[in-house]
Amino acid sequence: MRVLKNIASQLHSFVLWLLLSAIFWGWIFSRATDTTFDKKLMVFCDVPHIEDTALAIALEEELPEGIRMIQVHPFSYVMFDTVSIEHADILIVPASDAGEIGARLLPLEGEGGAPVYDPVTGQGALLGYITYTDEPYYLYLGASSAHLEDGAAAQVARRMLAM
Amino acid sequence: MPGNIIELYSPEELARLERRVKRHRTALSVLAAAALAVCIALAAHVTTASAPKLELAAIAVSTLAGWVCIYDGIFIVGAGKKELRHAEMLRTEPRVRVEGRAAVTGERFTIRKSVGVRRVAIATEGGIEQALVQENHARLLEDPRVIAVYTAHSYVAAVEVGA
Repeated sequence: MRVLKNIASQLHSFVLWLLLSAIFWGWIFSRATDTTFDKKLMVFCDVPHIEDTALAIALEEELPEGIRMIQVHPFSYVMFDTVSIEHADILIVPASDAGEIGARLLPLEGEGGAPVYDPVTGQGALLGYITYTDEPYYLYLGASSAHLEDGAAAQVARRMLAM
Repeated sequence: MPGNIIELYSPEELARLERRVKRHRTALSVLAAAALAVCIALAAHVTTASAPKLELAAIAVSTLAGWVCIYDGIFIVGAGKKELRHAEMLRTEPRVRVEGRAAVTGERFTIRKSVGVRRVAIATEGGIEQALVQENHARLLEDPRVIAVYTAHSYVAAVEVGA
């Protein structure tokens, strides 16, 4: 009883510590799971739902040479980190949004994006990781990607299309 | 014929209290260092796959260790230090012998930045005299053999027990 009374009298300290702990270790782990742009590949997906961690783990099974990690983010992540999307290596966007950010997109091969999802047939790539809406989706390389010349972005993009 | 005098703040008691504070302070330092080491080890071994679980583990470890440190720091080490200060202050004060039947009255209350105390009414030949007794010594005054108390700065510092 005495212990409970003591805890109740300092409840604000316990709650504050929990918050500080979550913020601090969240920050530390976000730093620990990050590296410089030249050593990572960033995939941004403008989709309603994505199993980002599971997809990143699957892609990391075959890392291109010189790449230490692959990060997969939904577009909503841009709210927290606008710098990252400017250096995006691979983007998956719906046809309706491709025009808006066209300047940031490069085709994987030839003209236009590589088809990722066809709403008519319901067929596409990455269906185990991504929930698409009822419109076509395309995959592009990022125009400012640090991995255009070394071919790492294209290599991972082709694997994604085959998944 | 004077009875046995029981010192509430004997050097042995102070030494025991000091040891207790020191022991807890050491234990808290060890706990904090161990928790930090565990969290650093978790962060050092993070991978994309293990990041969510390890981050949660680090938050849980640091939160629980922090809660123990907060509780122990405030209610055991902090309270012990207050008790030591209080005892040191009483040891140097002149004492007054008050003969009569002492009874603890009223609820516990805390002197600001000091120890928890209870009021004591001492029925003397000349009337009722008031004093304070540290909460954890209050039970001593319930002994019917107590024939007098020694007060210092209005606090009961020793009790005299008749044969």
